[in-house]
Amino acid sequence: MIDIVGPFALPFLQRPLLLLLVLAVAAATVGLLVNLRRLEFIGDGLTHAVFPGLVIGFVIAGEPGLLPGALVAAVLAALALTAVERRGTGGETGIAILLTSFFSVGVVIVSTRSDYAGQLQELFFGRLLTITDAQLGWSAAIVALAVALVALGWRQQVFRAFDPAGAEAAGLRTLRLDLVANIAVGLFVVAAASSVGVLLVLAVLIVPAAAARGVTGRIGAAALVALVFAAVTGWLGLAVSFHLSVELGVDAAPGATVATLMVAAYLLVLGAGALVRRAGSARSRAGVAAGTAAA
Amino acid sequence: MLTGVSFDVRPGEAVALIGPNGAGKSTLLAGLIGTAAHAAERWVVPDRADIGLLPQTSTADLDFPVTLEDVVLMGRTARLGMRWPGRADRRIARDAIELVGLGPQRRTRFGALSGGQRQRGLLARALAGEPRLVLLDEPFNGLDRASRDALLGVIERLKAEGVALLITTHDLDLARAACERTLLVNGEQVAFDETACVLTLEQVERTFAAHAIEIDGHTLATTEHHASEHAEHHGLGQHEAHGAPAAPAERPGAASDAAR
Repeated sequence: MIDIVGPFALPFLQRPLLLLLVLAVAAATVGLLVNLRRLEFIGDGLTHAVFPGLVIGFVIAGEPGLLPGALVAAVLAALALTAVERRGTGGETGIAILLTSFFSVGVVIVSTRSDYAGQLQELFFGRLLTITDAQLGWSAAIVALAVALVALGWRQQVFRAFDPAGAEAAGLRTLRLDLVANIAVGLFVVAAASSVGVLLVLAVLIVPAAAARGVTGRIGAAALVALVFAAVTGWLGLAVSFHLSVELGVDAAPGATVATLMVAAYLLVLGAGALVRRAGSARSRAGVAAGTAAA
Repeated sequence: MLTGVSFDVRPGEAVALIGPNGAGKSTLLAGLIGTAAHAAERWVVPDRADIGLLPQTSTADLDFPVTLEDVVLMGRTARLGMRWPGRADRRIARDAIELVGLGPQRRTRFGALSGGQRQRGLLARALAGEPRLVLLDEPFNGLDRASRDALLGVIERLKAEGVALLITTHDLDLARAACERTLLVNGEQVAFDETACVLTLEQVERTFAAHAIEIDGHTLATTEHHASEHAEHHGLGQHEAHGAPAAPAERPGAASDAAR
């Protein structure tokens, strides 16, 4: 049996757990907005765009350069994506080209380093278990900023997500709202990329909100479900990853283990939701049949 | 593009805005809410927050997890800014829902409502902002008899409360039934006066070209609204609404003055 509480007495496991809980708050706010706006593609794009920032930061200043580099890249990419998005038709092509160029520049730079294979792996898959107090503090601060940006204008963001032209006609500043949303996603990606890795940021950003949307029909409830979903799967993922490496000697990447668990839980939740709905409609059909019989 | 237009709307009055497709009706409405540019010499419109718009086509996401009440509360957003809605806002939203006759559907998911109910829901959203000027863009298109009568009732109620209304329509009978004055346009202003004076065979023929028909000597109708309903199915109606912000400067001489 996997011990899901005991290992977290160890300080080096407390820090990643804390980080995943912080990311869960963002999954329930920034992630939910991404889901409501159908911005998954932008989120994907930002993870690519942040990569060269991480690389350039690392090349210039080593380890401490990762975060500032990623921040600069994320904000630049958020501005560029908002501009491309505004142009309307052909936007997706523009975004794809923009991102491929960002990503290839990052790979070119990192490949000029002699030890680049190891660095690439670290940037892609993160360093969840070796994260320091300082890194945890920075990540939490950046996530808090992203959450605050989205939460402050939450009702306007929801209006804009629901009915873009209606929001524009009602006098909302939609360009500003889009910019704020994209920057918040960028900040989230930065905070999560340096820990769970560029490739797995999307799992934390998108999967909890998607699972929540699958089981609830209200925004408030979806936020709560996404929060609990992300926190529980993050916690279990860490415990499983620790169990694998300590008990079984399998050195599975913890970030990837968390992501895998999230997707598995997502499928489980969707399946359960479908079953509940089927039972519900069967009940109402039975009710109609009974009503007909009674009449 | 619309030029040479001079009109006003008084509080408690409904003005019909009539013209063929592409005459610039939606562009004029877009100008009034500030999403299309204009080069008017005199231009007096209420604050954006004091204008409620019911668009011809909606971009609302029907999969969105919101109830009718949530949607109508969005109509308070311009008044609230960053604040969250309080009890008074909820009461105003509920009153607007009752006014359009959707009380029983208050907690229904918006996307699960019928097309006519969604239209009334969006009208309630526009009214929840407590507007002084209400713009209705083809509100009667595709409505059944009962919904038409309900909408006419809402228009009368708003007029009684001193709200000014500007209503685009192809339906001349409805203009006669609901609107004191009529603005007839086709790229430029054809006429603006009491509805009965404006809607003469000569003027309507001039505006709608071959689309005006006279029935039994005194009933005047256009065939245009059939064309517009047809166009909507092909997304052309949406094009008209969406093209508005990109339109070059229109030039209404003087404008809607509901602020008096």
